[in-house]
Amino acid sequence: MKRMLIAAAAALTLATAPTKAQDYPTRPVTMIVPFAAGGPTDIIARLVAESMSKTLGQQVIIENVAGAGGTTGSTRAAQAAPDGYTILMGHMGTHGAAPGLYKNLKYNPSTDFTPIGLAAGTPIVIVTKKAFPADDTKGFVSYVKANNDKITQAHAGVGSVSFTTCMLLTHQLGVKATAVAYTGTGPALNDLVGGQVDYMCDQLPSVIAQVRAGTVKAISIALPERSPALPNLATTKESGLPEFQVSAWNAVFAPKNLPEPIKAKLADSLSKALDDDKVKARLLDLGAVIPQGKERGPDALAALVKSEVDRWGPILKSVQQ
Amino acid sequence: MDIISNLALGFSVALSLQNLALCFVGCLVGTMIGVLPGVGPIATIAMLLPLTFKVDPTGALIMLAGIYYGAQYGGSTTAILINIPGEATSVVTAMDGHEMAKNGEAGKALGIAAIGSFIAGSVATLVIALLGKPLTAMALIFGPAEYFSLMVLGLALAVALARGSVLKAIIMIVLGILLSTIGTDLDTGEERLTLGMTALSDGIDFAVLAMGVFGLAEILKNLENPEARDVVKSGIGKLLPTMDDMKRCFAPIMRGTALGSILGILPGNGAVLAPFASYTIEKKLAKDPSRFGKGAIEGVAGPESANNAGAQTAFIPLLTLGIPPNAVMALMVGAMTIHGIIPGPLVMSKSPDLFWGMVASMWVGNAMLVIINLPMIGLWVKLLKVPYRLMFPAILLFCAIGIYSINNNPADVFLTAFFGLVGYAFYKFGLEPAPMLLGFVLGKLMEQKLRQALTLSRGSMMTFIERPISAVLLLIALAIITVALLPSVRKGREEAFQGD
Amino acid sequence: MAEGTGMSGGRIKSPEDFCGAIFLLLICALALWQASELTFGTLRAVGPGLMPTALAVLLAGLACVLMVSSLKDDGPDVSPPSWRGILFVLGAFVAFGLAVRPLGLAVAGPLAVIIAGFASDETRPGETVLFGLGMTAFCIALFKFALGLPIPLAPWLLGY
Repeated sequence: MKRMLIAAAAALTLATAPTKAQDYPTRPVTMIVPFAAGGPTDIIARLVAESMSKTLGQQVIIENVAGAGGTTGSTRAAQAAPDGYTILMGHMGTHGAAPGLYKNLKYNPSTDFTPIGLAAGTPIVIVTKKAFPADDTKGFVSYVKANNDKITQAHAGVGSVSFTTCMLLTHQLGVKATAVAYTGTGPALNDLVGGQVDYMCDQLPSVIAQVRAGTVKAISIALPERSPALPNLATTKESGLPEFQVSAWNAVFAPKNLPEPIKAKLADSLSKALDDDKVKARLLDLGAVIPQGKERGPDALAALVKSEVDRWGPILKSVQQ
Repeated sequence: MDIISNLALGFSVALSLQNLALCFVGCLVGTMIGVLPGVGPIATIAMLLPLTFKVDPTGALIMLAGIYYGAQYGGSTTAILINIPGEATSVVTAMDGHEMAKNGEAGKALGIAAIGSFIAGSVATLVIALLGKPLTAMALIFGPAEYFSLMVLGLALAVALARGSVLKAIIMIVLGILLSTIGTDLDTGEERLTLGMTALSDGIDFAVLAMGVFGLAEILKNLENPEARDVVKSGIGKLLPTMDDMKRCFAPIMRGTALGSILGILPGNGAVLAPFASYTIEKKLAKDPSRFGKGAIEGVAGPESANNAGAQTAFIPLLTLGIPPNAVMALMVGAMTIHGIIPGPLVMSKSPDLFWGMVASMWVGNAMLVIINLPMIGLWVKLLKVPYRLMFPAILLFCAIGIYSINNNPADVFLTAFFGLVGYAFYKFGLEPAPMLLGFVLGKLMEQKLRQALTLSRGSMMTFIERPISAVLLLIALAIITVALLPSVRKGREEAFQGD
Repeated sequence: MAEGTGMSGGRIKSPEDFCGAIFLLLICALALWQASELTFGTLRAVGPGLMPTALAVLLAGLACVLMVSSLKDDGPDVSPPSWRGILFVLGAFVAFGLAVRPLGLAVAGPLAVIIAGFASDETRPGETVLFGLGMTAFCIALFKFALGLPIPLAPWLLGY
């Protein structure tokens, strides 16, 4: 009983004493992942959080708040107290494409958040069924253009990364491939392996095992440089589709009006996590791209969010008639 | 032979002291969360992921897999004892299992569920070891058209779940499919039937619906009829099935195992159909089908075996194709990836110790589950003696926590309360919720597959008949519906002639 | 007697089925109203409205068959609902949902158990309060500490 009283008293002082921003963090930090556990964003968040827990000296707990293409969890993060104890692992969808996709979006990606920094991006790969008649980007582009009315493309549902990136591709190629919607990358990939659909665009981690095993064919990767995870795969830049540059970036955000010292501490901790050898090795093995130098930190992220919102808006409007 | 050296490698991994301990912990945690109504394996596995950072990937996966099938075991316990199925697959177990419990045969039902599951698990382990690779190739033949036809077959099977009127069962199946269309449309992103509520924009979660129409409605029902729930406490009866029961259940267990093993391999979560198919077959084969729905032990043995076999062979598409068939498996993919192993066609050749270690650990885990569960049957049955005035608030609290933790969202809790009210109305109007849940689960897949198949066939309905597997599945479905409807038509006539 | 005579007097012979059919028709009406703005599409590109509308119409048809049979065949009466159970059991659930984020599991747990207690005549007040506290402590130990679920404990006191 006595121990309980002491504990309660300690807890009370903890809660009532105005903890200075410099002391942050004094209790566990919740990182909201706006998607179901197990997906690429969740995996990156968990890897980064594990390392951030060490540098912050407090556990960073992952809370999966899935729903409405990640906007449910992002809305909750936007409305949380700006005390640094609630942060968000947002991504290209929630902080880039969402304004173009959801009419009733309850947050503004640019103004309702304090950007902390870019975490890791996953490059987009164009993959086709094994029996697809073309092997490289040029052949792919000319085949798709020639068979405009027959070609089918799989995607993981409106709002998913595979949907938005495929829209970008068809938009840039000026074709109208028949889109087949699936409930996620898994089922879509299943039908691609089975040869039911012709091609899809998706994040490298989701398709890397199939590409390595040769059950699907990778055409090219939307990166400026080749990926060390798949060094034989040509980039879109070198193989004749330079305008197709897109990455499913993931980034840490906090609610707006976050005190400067906390923001700096979080950004520093995130940056250290990305330099953590164990995290780095895992991320690179997945085929993820780790931001370097100027790409890190709050300012770079703020600029990225702005450019992404501007980029996706018109594209998504044009495909939705 | 290859297979022997492979299994030997597997067992040498699975039987290491550390992996045995991890397997045991996984099974124990799984059983525990499975038993608690409303708490599912997804939230638990997600939360336990960080704990596994400290062990090697094989050990971590053995533990997580233990949680997965431990939860399946535990889920049957809850279904049998308090008639709350936590997953689609235990809906069937609840039907005859809970009736058995009411007849004072809870111990028997739990015992046969454990034994059936163990036998099924052992066979499924062998199936994976022997046939994993060739069967995977077969699974890929299944395109959207074949899946659509499989779902139609599944819905035909659901009619057999009818305990009373076939018309009402069909009504509930259709209602279930209708409920499954709620949420954002996959193809266009438009919101459907959501009444403008964000909570519905991703559709209704299975657990929300099941906890509402089964969990909460069951509480309301029991509070209203104190006599109905006291039956459970009247007598506990034998704790274990007799030799006679075992003999009677042997064939159902074997048939269930075969069905589960085959359906589990289909990458589109075919395992969900296995218990329903098994139940239908047992009911049709039984000398006295009228016992089904009133506590037939075969109605527990067959579906439970099918469920467990399917749960295990569902690892095949995950391990050999790298394609997760359901949400729990998707989480396993995440777990593997975090540990630096990317599941896919290469796992078998690149990390044979992991692959075969996991296969062997499934058998070890099943053996452990029997060892954990058989002695606990006495304890579970005693739990039924807890006065209902304390039991129902406890169930309610567990459900509330479990539902909240699906998405960490209170809106799901409110939605569950709403479905509790709907479930209570069903009870008042004599409408069975079990076929509705099946319609709900299959309906979602059915619409997607229909639309995918039609998009791919450029709008030609012929695709369902031109593709041989699809055509055969549709024919079987047609046969089942005919057989199911015939007796009721006949009975209807008889009743009409007998008059009142 | 043979069919036909059941209709005599237009009396409802199975109130259970009759009410059930009305209930189902209400659901159909709601679904049809909600689906009315969705497009049907074509077979090649099935629109979002096709399935919900088709299912609602089918369900309405089946409900009508049920209603007709409720006028013909005898069936059980509908017993009056227990409003007390509905109010307190579902109320307890809703209270939990309202309390869990702002007040945490430490408050929402006992609250749900105590409200649920009002649903039964057999409830003993003292016992229920103690049981609620005990169960909550058990759940906190299990879910919060053993399993690590990110469920708020007592944000007003502990900050999480």
